[in-house]
Order: sequence, then structure tokens, then C-alpha cells
Amino acid sequence: MGKQAARALKGLFRWETMLLAVLVLMCAVFDRRDAARQAAGLSKKDVFNLAVVVKGLRPYMLYGFMTLGVMLILAMGDIDISVGASAALSVAVMGVVYQSATVSGLRAESALALALLSCLATGGLCGAANGFLVTRFKELFAMIITLATQLFYRGIAYLLLGGKTLTFKNDVTFDSLKRLYDTVQIGGVSVPVMLIALMAAAAVYAVWIHGTPGGRRIFALGTNAKATFYSGVRTDRVKFGLFTLCGLTSAATGVFFVGATSSSIRADAMMGYEMYAIAAAVLGGFSTSGGKGSVIGVALSLVIFGVMKIGLGTLYGFVDSMVNLSVGVILIISTLLPNLISGAGEAIRLNRRRARANVSYQA
Amino acid sequence: MLENGKTRGRGGRAAPDLLALLTKRREILLLAVLAALALGVSLRVPGYLKNNYMNILKGGAINMVMAAGMLPVLLIGSIDISVASTLAFAGSVAGMLMRDGYVGSTLAMILIGIGVGALVGALNGALVAWGRVLPIIVTLGMSYVARAMIPMDWLLGLNKIARIHLTDSFKVFFIDRYFIGLPYLVWSAVIVTALTGLFLRYTRTGRSIYAVGSNESAALVRGVRADGVKTLAHAICGAAAGLAGVLWLGYYNSIEKSTAAGDEMYVIAACVLGGVAVTGGYGKITGVAIGAVMIAMINSAIPQLKIGNAMITEFVKGLLLLGAILLNAALRRLARRRELIGRRV
Repeated sequence: MGKQAARALKGLFRWETMLLAVLVLMCAVFDRRDAARQAAGLSKKDVFNLAVVVKGLRPYMLYGFMTLGVMLILAMGDIDISVGASAALSVAVMGVVYQSATVSGLRAESALALALLSCLATGGLCGAANGFLVTRFKELFAMIITLATQLFYRGIAYLLLGGKTLTFKNDVTFDSLKRLYDTVQIGGVSVPVMLIALMAAAAVYAVWIHGTPGGRRIFALGTNAKATFYSGVRTDRVKFGLFTLCGLTSAATGVFFVGATSSSIRADAMMGYEMYAIAAAVLGGFSTSGGKGSVIGVALSLVIFGVMKIGLGTLYGFVDSMVNLSVGVILIISTLLPNLISGAGEAIRLNRRRARANVSYQA
Repeated sequence: MLENGKTRGRGGRAAPDLLALLTKRREILLLAVLAALALGVSLRVPGYLKNNYMNILKGGAINMVMAAGMLPVLLIGSIDISVASTLAFAGSVAGMLMRDGYVGSTLAMILIGIGVGALVGALNGALVAWGRVLPIIVTLGMSYVARAMIPMDWLLGLNKIARIHLTDSFKVFFIDRYFIGLPYLVWSAVIVTALTGLFLRYTRTGRSIYAVGSNESAALVRGVRADGVKTLAHAICGAAAGLAGVLWLGYYNSIEKSTAAGDEMYVIAACVLGGVAVTGGYGKITGVAIGAVMIAMINSAIPQLKIGNAMITEFVKGLLLLGAILLNAALRRLARRRELIGRRV
């Protein structure tokens, strides 16, 4: 009986459950605050409800695709901090290709298709270069390699664009990218296209990494790379593939970013996105030492960050920096807490074993 | 490891010796690259070094101070990406105290900067050592927290510290006061570098930092209190970043919440260029110093070369860093292979 109860308790303490509880609690607190503000006449209308929040999630979903890529790198026990830079480079290439294609007289639609293709290809190439270096130079940390490639990719983006902003004013075809930032009506709630796309991608990822042998290999690689290698997994190939995929997802983030920022392309775009992505993945249960995490957790943590920023901003009048502070504190606590709990559990178990040993010794 | 290999080699052959020398004394290669860089720039811009050496030193001083602090952290196999935020935070605290008239003397400012930075660093270190949280997560979180605390109403409530908020003696202290031809700003960097180097090389605690970085369990068995050493290393890094905040205030005479954002990458880059192993246990202050000078030189030289657009600096920095770490790895591999070939069985 004790064992069953313990297992049930363990299930309750699963990370995703905790995240869900945090999300529900946060929504409840924000909702009461909203009602109180309305009652006190501080605000005229309901500013925190499902419709507002879902619509308001848009800006916080931008780095979501990147997070999907980064989390797999974290699951392998590596890290990729070049994702923001490779997204910026992909977008820069997209802009330059589109510009030169239209100038050279290509039809606008095919120019856009070419630009999008080259954007994804650039992202993939950036990722592949990271993957190549990480697998060929195993003695170097992925962190250092991607630190260098980050500067490098951002540098190429600067070379392509200079300090200028590339815009396509009144270009109907290029402006069609803005539709990625639109919303669609579902049951009276305007749901961002981006949210739907992200959740669909997350669902695919969830099935892939939790449900198929290929996906489980990633976690195996993160838990014990050597054992995985000797059990017949081509670890280098998996690693290379995942880094390439990570580059592709950051290029996807770039495409959405262009849609969100009215098609303006700058070399210093998406600065610091890698940190948001890593923060979201870590809050979602992935650890930089690899081997654990779940897609559901990441999806929840992306929503939590979004809801937190909306709620703190509109209801409590918190400025950006205060929200950043909360992100930082949550990041530290969310990794400290499990460590402390497991540490305490270890200590209790050790104590009990010691006590038992003492009893048998005396008898 | 490699040092032993050299004695076991057959000797007499010049190539392996040169290679062994290069891997053992990585500074030689770095200096050669630095000299080549200076020469290349001088060919295109005559008199470059003579006209710009002061700008290079001044521009690199702050990065150097932070890099010297980063060294112990990298040596224990940890990392601190919150240094730029710590710089902004400590600089803001010191600047505010001066603005509100609590502090007048420059020495007090320096001490406040170091103290605030050390506190932030020690908190990082405690979370890493006793909380067993991964360093990159702790310091990523701390970089958000420290920067966010600057403009908050109930904490600092700072918009910007500008020239008018600073005392006259502070404004001239780092830039306009010279000692043997160098401004105090550069001297602070020199002193911090020298102190860190001496500390790491000649003190018991300094050697413990290397010991914890190369093999933590062995260090523990030898009686080194690894957790304390880790906390200390992070505290040193924070203190250096805090000092850098005061230096920033002294050099640019202004500080705000977005000051130095992203500069932590250049600090780490200086260390990595200087041959510090991020796995811990290996790295020298001389290498770090050369790395910092190299980055400062690129910053000052590239705009003067007038190749491409002004943004080419980022590209060159990335290229150089990538080249340096790959060359480093390749050299080490080559040396290892030679060592294995030369070994008598």
C-alpha cells in the first residue's frame, strides 16, 4: 500500500503536473486580480480572459520553434547558443535573395518561394556546420563551438546587410508573410496562426521523441553517450541530424519573426532569443546535462512565460524588467527545487539505512 | 600530460619539439598571430600601432578585467554568463551612491563596485556549489535578475547615470591621470591581471582552483573543500565584473540598464582565444591577456582598414575565435599523435 501511495505521489510530483498547477494557479490569481480591479473601477473592461490571453500570446510564441530545436540539443546533453544568430542570418539571406531575385526580373511569387527556400537552407546549413564541428571536435564543448559560430553567423548577417534595415514597402507578395501573424476565429476566440502552427509542431515532436525508437535514442544519448554508441546507435549521425534540425527550426522562427515585424529585416534581429529558448526548454524540464525532459513541459512553459508576461504587465503594471526578473528567478528556482528535493530524499534514505544497520548490529 | 610525453620522445627531431613547444607554450603562437595581425594592419594603415596603441589598451582594459575574473571560473570547469549584467548592476549601484552624495571618493567607488560584484558572484557560486544547479542555468538566470534590478522602482529605480551625476575627481581619475605613460584605467587592468595571475600560481587556494578543475574527486580526497573553492572562484569573477562596472563608469561616464549587454561573449572569447580549456583545469593568465588584447586590436583596427562595411568587425571576431579554437584542438591532437608514435614500448 505504501508503495502504491508513493507511486501516486510521484506521479503527482511529475514536472508537467507541477507546471500545469503553476499555470492554473497563475491564471486564477490573475483572474481574481482582474475582477478586483474591475470592481474597484480601475479598469473598465475585462482585460484577463481566455480571448485576450490567447490573442496576446503571439509575441511569446516567436521563439517557440527555436525552443523545439534547442530542447533536443539539451536532451543530448549539448547546448546551442547560436540559434538566434543563425535565425538572423537565415532572415538576412532571405531578404537579400528576394531583393536580388525581384531586381533581376523574377516573378514575385517564385522569388518569394526561392527566398523562403534559401532561408530554410541557410538555417539548415548553419545547424549542419555546428553539428559537423561538434561531432568532429569532440574535445571541444558545444557551448564554445556555438559561441564562436554565433559571432560568425551574426557577422555574416552584418556583412550582408550592413547596419541597414531591409524593407519591402508596398510589396504585396512579400507582405503575405504578415499573414503568419494573423489570427483565425475558433469558437469565438481569435487564435493566432502562430500558436496553432507551434502546437501542431509540438505535437509532432511529442510523438516523435517520446513515442518512436528514433526519438528515444536522443534521450539515451543524453543519459549515456558511450553506452548508446556501443548498443549500436550511430551517435554522431544523430547529433549531426539534430543540430541541423535545430538550425532549420531557427530559420522557421526567423520567417515568423519577419511576419511579426512587418517584413523588416535587420542584422541585429533576434538578439538574445537563444537565451529565451534555453530558458523555456529548461523550465519545461530539459536539463543541460541531458537525458530528460518532455515536449508537453516545454509547451506548458512557453505558455506560462507568455501568460506571466501578459498578466504581470497588464494587471500589475510590471515593467519589462520586472518580468525579466521573474523569468530569472523562476529559471533558477525551477532547477534548484528538484535538486534540493532529491538531495533531501537521498539524505532521508541514507539516514534510514544507517538506522537499520545500527539496529541489526546491536541485535 | 604532454609535458611527460616530451621527455619520452626520441628527441633530436625538430618538428615534434616545435610542436610540443607550441602546445605547451600556447602563448608563443598567440603572440605570433597578434604580431601578424598588427603587421597586416600596419601595412595598410601606416603608423597604426603608434597612433592607436593607447586606444587599444583603453578599449581592452574593461574586457581584460572581466576576462581575468572569468579565468578562475573557467578553471573550475564552470562558466559565468552574467558578468555583463553584473557590470551594469554594480556600476549602477556605485553610480547612484555617488549621484545621491553618499560616496565621494574614487577609492570608495572601487570598493563598492568590487563588493557588490562579489556578492552577486558569491550567490552564483553558492547556487552552483551547494545548490548543484548547472552553472549556465544559474548565471543565465542571474543575468536576467541583475539587469532587471537596475530600473526597478523599489530597488534602484535608475534611468541613467550621466556625466552630471559624477564628481569631477572621479571623472578624471581613470582617463586623465597617468602613471608612467599609462592612464589609471589601463593600470587597473594590469593590476587585476597581475594579482589574478599571482593568486592562481602561487597561493594554496589558487592551486586548489586548478585541482578542483582537473579532478574534483581527487581534490576532495586531498582535502580541498571543493564547494568553497567553487564559490570563491565565482565570487572573484563577480568582483572583477563589479570593478569593471566602476571602470565603465569612469571611462564612458554613463551607465544604464542595457550597458554592456552581450559583452559576456567577448569575455569568454578572450579566455578561449587565450587557450583556456572550458572543461576546466587548464589555462594561464598570460594567454587570457593576449586574447583580450587581440580582441581589443580587432575592435580598433577593422574600422580603419575600410574593407567592406563597418560591421565586418563581428565577422572577423567570429572567424578568429572559430579558427583559434579549431587550431588549438588540431594542435593538441597532432601533439598527442606524435607523442604516441614517439613512445617506446
